[in-house]
Amino acid sequence: MAAESRDLMTSFLLFFCEPFYTWMSSCAFIFFLFFLFAELFDNYMQQDAHEFLNYLLNTIADILQEEKKQERQNGKLKNGVLEGEEACKPEATWVHDIFQGTLTNETRCLNCETVTFCSNCFSNTETLCSEYKYYCEQCCSKQEAQKRMRVKKLPMILALHLKRFKYMEQLHRYTKLSYRVVFPLELRLFNTSGDATNPDRMYDLVAVVVHCGSGPNRGHYITIVKSHGFWLLFDDDIVEKIDPQAIEEFYGLTTDVSKNSESGYILFYQSRE
Amino acid sequence: MAAHHRANPAARRKVQVSYVIRDEVERYNRSGVNALQLDHSLNRLFTAGRDSIIRIWNVNQHKQDPYIASMEHHTDWVNDIVLCCNGRTLISASSDTTVKVWNAHKGFCMSTLRTHKDYVKALAYAKDKEQVASAGLDRQIFLWDVNTLTALTASNNTVTTSSLSGNKDSIYSLAMNQMGTVIVSGSTEKVLRVWDPRTCAKLMKLKGHTDNVKSLLLNRDGTQCLSGSSDGTVRLWSLGQQRCIATYRVHDEGVWALQVNECFTQVYSGGRDRKVYCTDLRNPDNRLLICEETAPVLKLELDRSADPPHAIWVSTTQSSVNKWSLKGHNFRLSGDYDNDCAVSLTPLCTQPDHVIKGGASIIQYHILNDKRHILTKDTSNHVSYWDVLKACKVEELGVVDFEEEIKTHFKMLYVPNWFSVDLKIGMLTITLEENDCFAAWVSAKDAGFASQDGADPKLNFGGLLLQALLEHWPRTHAGPLEEDDMELNQVNGENENRVIQKGNGYFQVPPHTPVIFTEAGGRTLFRLLCRDAGGETESVLLNETVPQWVVDVAVDKNMPKFNKIPFYLQPHSNSCTKTLKKDRLSASDMLQVRKVMEHVYEKIINAENDSQTPNSPNNDKTREMEKEEDIAMLAEEKIELLCQDQVLDPNMDLRTVKHFIWKSGGDLTLHYRQKFL
Repeated sequence: MAAESRDLMTSFLLFFCEPFYTWMSSCAFIFFLFFLFAELFDNYMQQDAHEFLNYLLNTIADILQEEKKQERQNGKLKNGVLEGEEACKPEATWVHDIFQGTLTNETRCLNCETVTFCSNCFSNTETLCSEYKYYCEQCCSKQEAQKRMRVKKLPMILALHLKRFKYMEQLHRYTKLSYRVVFPLELRLFNTSGDATNPDRMYDLVAVVVHCGSGPNRGHYITIVKSHGFWLLFDDDIVEKIDPQAIEEFYGLTTDVSKNSESGYILFYQSRE
Repeated sequence: MAAHHRANPAARRKVQVSYVIRDEVERYNRSGVNALQLDHSLNRLFTAGRDSIIRIWNVNQHKQDPYIASMEHHTDWVNDIVLCCNGRTLISASSDTTVKVWNAHKGFCMSTLRTHKDYVKALAYAKDKEQVASAGLDRQIFLWDVNTLTALTASNNTVTTSSLSGNKDSIYSLAMNQMGTVIVSGSTEKVLRVWDPRTCAKLMKLKGHTDNVKSLLLNRDGTQCLSGSSDGTVRLWSLGQQRCIATYRVHDEGVWALQVNECFTQVYSGGRDRKVYCTDLRNPDNRLLICEETAPVLKLELDRSADPPHAIWVSTTQSSVNKWSLKGHNFRLSGDYDNDCAVSLTPLCTQPDHVIKGGASIIQYHILNDKRHILTKDTSNHVSYWDVLKACKVEELGVVDFEEEIKTHFKMLYVPNWFSVDLKIGMLTITLEENDCFAAWVSAKDAGFASQDGADPKLNFGGLLLQALLEHWPRTHAGPLEEDDMELNQVNGENENRVIQKGNGYFQVPPHTPVIFTEAGGRTLFRLLCRDAGGETESVLLNETVPQWVVDVAVDKNMPKFNKIPFYLQPHSNSCTKTLKKDRLSASDMLQVRKVMEHVYEKIINAENDSQTPNSPNNDKTREMEKEEDIAMLAEEKIELLCQDQVLDPNMDLRTVKHFIWKSGGDLTLHYRQKFL
């Protein structure tokens, strides 16, 4: 999903400033980021908001980790000890604290009902059967099994990316999927694993990055952010207060009639705890 | 629907050959026991084992050894059994996708039903009608008339069966009432589906469970149903009202086995939490922990020789089967339990009344580098050493560290894979497939098969094994030619040559070894014992079943070709020899490094010397002499061969070099250099 990088950046930075100013040490940091991304994104090329978000978070995490590593090494060097292993181990940063969750992949043999875990694999619920039976170590044989993906650790900020584009075989290009996705203001994840640390955590919608336009290759980004109990809409340099009811307008289209949609693309939910 | 006994051979998929390494008589259950049936009149217990064997036990307390006989014909877990016709007939369902009909008194298999296409998980029996239903992971339910099944013969082997369709998911449980008016199935769909077996009409769906349904029971007239589910609950359903009338939360984990008393008032339940409870259906607070097993409970069987029953048999995922006393417990006499007592954690019994001791099953294996021997570890932590070729155990190493034994038995030797191992029945099942069966060639000397004349032929493990497995099959030792050719041979007086040597001439497998032909998907086509291949019906069935790739080797004695390995031979960078053009060579992958060294010495080093000093014919002759005896020695003295800058042992063969030293992809490259003395 693309829009000009300029409004993409403002969308994010405004969004970042608002709910996360407590996490940012100073405004200087944001300007630093501006410079950092200037090279890659300061042009009139069309950019994708999700790609940008990933890039932003990963880069911040990398920089912070590198910084911490340097600090640690300097400290250690002063003390005259440097333990190789410790120095190399990356430390969790606020990016991890806020955005990182853990997925776990559970496979349950239907014969012995033993559940096997495998972290970080992504998969839908499926039954492994007929010629695709699961080799169960417990049963020493192939048995049917159910495989499902579960959330093991819930993040503080749950960033959900809606898949709003699809490759059309007939057209040989991507099209935008504008259909209606009703995202709730409150969210509870039901597919948490049995041993999840905080399975009943409630989430509130705090921001939505909205893509405006009919196709995936061009368009415009706007952002709605909840700030101090009010919903604000950021459209380039225009900021206006909107009615919470108006969020419905960003769910997507119910019919195919109007092709120009303003549809929610990335959703940010904040944990209540 | 008409079901034929044997699938059309033409429509078959790739056929594999398997065999089981085992004792001739396996007196103990090797693995978990999936089902139990008591024959009260003869005091016999039938156990359906995960080791593929149904065993008959004498359960008279006083008998020293309860083992009576084994019923062997299945090739995978036996999942369920029912005793019909007043104990004369036993029907069994197995993960080998077949249902078998047995003479229960004499213990032999009368016929095999092959209509299911996946594991057959459950059976149900309507006593009044002598009707049996089978169901499984193929979502199908078939109804069988037992009297028709027992009347089947080799020539009249077509059975008509009704099938009940509509199941959307794999079926794990099945029940039919005694009168044969209601049949109910449980599946991963989580609903119970109910049919009328007389009309095959769907009656209803019952919703309520939140997980797979693993056990089902119906009362005599088919008005009430009990279900045990992986969701941990037991539910009582009224079929008249088409709803669940009670839910019993007794277990901590999935409920896998149920039994009920004659008047349908007390349910006995067992499952993954290893506990067996008895619950009063009308007053669920009245429940009693009967016993706690040491492994998840797979099946319960009430001893109904008295009412109320005074014992219950319990089978688990472990091989021992226990009988627990129910004496001294009766809800009706003591209806006023206080609640704490009713759900007491102390079981009624702490020791079983009677134990049918089980054996150990193999749970881990390691194929050694020689691709002939296997190390295994069993459930009692015993480590054993096996010979795949001779299909026997070589040594019991006792309780030792498995990983340590693997290290001790490591040999720097590479032989390609040529078989696969399966432990599903708790014994070693070795499977040979067409694509890699003939991959392993080994010199007779290395394999320990010394020949009288000192020759050292190359042996193909897979080929020899197939010949040994089928050595009693007449076709493998009678001539391949037909009658009219015989006449010709008699004229020529060559008739005695027509008898070809039996077996492979090197080794035999134990005659009791079961040989199994399976379709690639896992469906068993035919199982026989090695020694029985000469029998009349067996050899007919073998003619039908044995795939061409096995016939080629066992009957026509066409051994496959040696495996060739391409490689490059180049001078080592710090040797003074000029670089020759890069020739791609090819040799048997069993060629020893020594032979390559001889080649280098002869063809390259000597050739260079030759070009320097023109030689006379006389010189040539002496070189011939030299060649015979000394080239090998000279070669080893003068040059060495390297791979990845590592000097090679002359005894190593090329495939070992490629596997352990070259390691990378692409063609093997060897370097040679002259030793500087």
